[in-house]
Order: sequence, then C-alpha cells, then structure tokens
Amino acid sequence: MTRKRRRLIVLLACGLGLGSAAALTLSAFSDTLELFVPPSRIATDAPHGGRAFRLGGLVEAGSVERVSVAGQPAARFRVTDGGATVSVEYVGILPDLFREGQGVVTLGSLRPDGVFKAQEVLAKHDENYMPKDVADALKKSGNWHPETGAAPPAAALWNDPQTKITKAGS
Amino acid sequence: MSASQAFPVPSRNLHRFANPGRFLRLSGRLLPWLATIGIALSAVGLGWGLTLSPADWQQGDAVRIMYVHVPAAWLASFGYANLAAASIAALVWRHPLADLAAAEISPVGAGFTAICLATGSLWGKPMWGAWWVWDARMTSVLVLFFLYLGHIALVRAFDDPQRGARAGAILALVGVVNLPIIKFSVEWWNTLHQGASITLTGAPTMAPAMLWPLLLVAIGAMFGFAALVVARTRAAVMERRIRGLLLARAQEGEAA
Amino acid sequence: MTHLPFIVASYAITLVVVGWFTVDAWARMGRARRRLAALDRRPQR
Repeated sequence: MTRKRRRLIVLLACGLGLGSAAALTLSAFSDTLELFVPPSRIATDAPHGGRAFRLGGLVEAGSVERVSVAGQPAARFRVTDGGATVSVEYVGILPDLFREGQGVVTLGSLRPDGVFKAQEVLAKHDENYMPKDVADALKKSGNWHPETGAAPPAAALWNDPQTKITKAGS
Repeated sequence: MSASQAFPVPSRNLHRFANPGRFLRLSGRLLPWLATIGIALSAVGLGWGLTLSPADWQQGDAVRIMYVHVPAAWLASFGYANLAAASIAALVWRHPLADLAAAEISPVGAGFTAICLATGSLWGKPMWGAWWVWDARMTSVLVLFFLYLGHIALVRAFDDPQRGARAGAILALVGVVNLPIIKFSVEWWNTLHQGASITLTGAPTMAPAMLWPLLLVAIGAMFGFAALVVARTRAAVMERRIRGLLLARAQEGEAA
Repeated sequence: MTHLPFIVASYAITLVVVGWFTVDAWARMGRARRRLAALDRRPQR
C-alpha cells in the first residue's frame, strides 16, 4: 500500500465518521431545526403556557377577514395544514404575498381560548414561478384554484397549445 | 531565464499539470476564453432577466432578483465543492498547485455567498416581510459563509504556508458536511425558504420565459467564477516564484 | 416596475462585488508579471 493510498483511506474513514456523526446529531436535534409548527402538531410540539412559537400552514380559503383595530389595519384568518385549523388574529400590515391558499409563517402565542395572537406574519413563497398572464389564464380556464393552496399544473404544459390548459373555456 | 526553465519537470503522470511553467502557459491561453464567455453569457442573461422576462403573478418585478440570487447560491455551493476537491488533491496527492488554488477559491466563494445572502435578504423583505429568518436554509448558508471566512483566515494564519494550507484543507473537508445540509434543508425540515424549482429528477416548476435567462446567467457565472479562480491562481504562482527568487538572491548575497 | 429599489440594490451589490474581484485579480496578475519580469532581467551571478 502506497502512502498516497493510505492517506486517501484515512481521509475516507474520517469522512465516514464525520458524516455519520453529523447525521446522528441532525436527526437528534431535528425538532429544533424546524422553523414552525403546523396546526395538527400544536398539541405535541408547541410550547405551553402562552409562550411564543411560530405557527405555519396555508391560509384557509374564504377565512380572511380584514378589519381595523384602533385605526390600524388588522386581520383575522384561519391557518390549516389539512389536518387541523387554527384561528389567527393579527394587528399590522400583512406582507404583499399574503392571500388565501398562500403558505404563512406567523410568530405569536396561543391564547387560552385557542386563538393564535400573532405579532408577526410572514408569507411563504412556493417553488412555482409563473408570469401573470399564465396565472390569469389558468385561473380563468378553471384549471387552477390557487386559493385552495393546490399546486398549479406542470410548468411544461403552460405554453403547450395541445393541452390548451391556459385557454379560457376549453 | 524563462519561467518554464526555472522549474524541474516532474516525471510523474499525475503531477504533469503541476509544473508551474506549464500551468502558466495553459491557463494563460484558457483565461481569455473563460472571461469572455462568462461576461457575455452573464450580460445577455441579466439583460434578458431585467427587461424581457415576464413579471411573476405574485412577486411582480421582484422576481428579477432571482436572476442574481440563484446563480450566486449555486456557485456558493459549487465553489465549496471545488475547494474540497482541491483540499483532497493537496492532502492525498500533495499536488503542488492544489494548495495555491484552494487559497484562491475561498475568497471568491465567500464573495458569491455574500451576494447570495444580500440579494436573498433584499428579496425577502418585500416578499416574505422579513430581511432574515433563522430557518434551516438561511442558517446553513450563513454557516457556509463562515466556513469560507474561516478558511481564508486559517491558510494565512501560519508563518509556514505549508502548515496553513494543511490546516485549511482539513477545515474545508470538515465543512463539506454542510453541503448536503444546504441542499436538502428545504426538504428535511420546514423552512420559510421555498423548495427547489429546478431539480435533476423532476420537471422545473418555473415558466420557460424565466428559466432560460436564469440558466444563461448561471452558466455565465460559472465561467466567470472559473476565470476569477484561474486568474488569482496565476497571480499566486507568479508571486510564489518572486518569493523564491528573492530568497535565493538574499542567500547568495549572504554567501558572497 | 414594482420593487425597484430592491431590484436596483440587488444588481448593484452583485456588480460591485464581482467587479471588485475582477479588477483585483487583473491588477494582481499585472503586478506579479511586472515584478517577475524585473527580477528575471536583473543579471544573475
């Protein structure tokens, strides 16, 4: 065995050890690496006693109610992950991307009545990048309902005249 | 005396490209091509992204920040993979150019990581509503930035450059564990950062009118990155030779 | 164009950082080449 080969093997062994150590550490701390708690895991994962945490999920369709509290913009809406739903109250300006069906991550705490009192609402963008005219056409043709949080049809079909999914009324 | 005569030509196959004279000749011919292609593709891609490509239905024109953010992010990780490859070549094969190349890769990689972090922040404020959030993706990219900075500092921290290079190579290889964390952070944990739109396995979830300029900038930036690293490594090879010559003169002077 | 200040700042930061690296690498190569040429020209004993 040459010295080069020995050095290579030592390096590979170190890499294997380091890799497994890192994997074990990450899986052990996996819960703390999550940014937010979805509604259906609040009972198990959220801190108790009115302490602050981040709640994350989709804004439920038809749940957004924009109000005004002491002259300030405010909103009431529900956050859902399909399994459970939590009501959220927020006083402040919502981000531009906030809409029904959008993912949101909101920092706040649960009141005793089960309503989440938000101090901060962040909008989550998904991995879909779509021009405005395509989005309008998809919505108009009934092929996509973004307010439900559903993913749009595959991007490869957007400009395909064969599928006609962006053509209205087809 | 020309540069190529100053160094003995090693006979070993693997070290064929380690001859500094040959490296200077080959890289000198390569560099104009790398730089020209890099600048041309990036300029066309950025111009396309800024003007012709459509606005996003939700993001509006802020989507144009993607054309600088995403290539910078890809290069931040790609550059680190190159740093790790150079470190392996230095540690295992004692390749004489690998140490020099590694020391020149890390500042460029740190630069692109800084661009990625800054432009991501500038996109996050209007879109998410926050400049920064400590989610797994952003935190792991910040760790990448600190790994680069640590490597820059470490390779220059020793009086003996050989020891600095050795320490830097070990740090670089330990940090490789962060690369899969960056890549998969958006799948393993829930994050504010969106998942990948462009993957090796699935179809892209991005309109073609946005995808093409993005890919142009990304390929151009990769050529630009290579050009910067090659240019810096050329300078480092010449600087090492200057130090060697000065040292030899000083010793001759003492002997006389 | 919406969000213009954010777009301008992003492109400006990118161009400044990449431009600085380019100018620095260029200048460093030129400096090294000139010093090396000067050293090579000096008579050897």
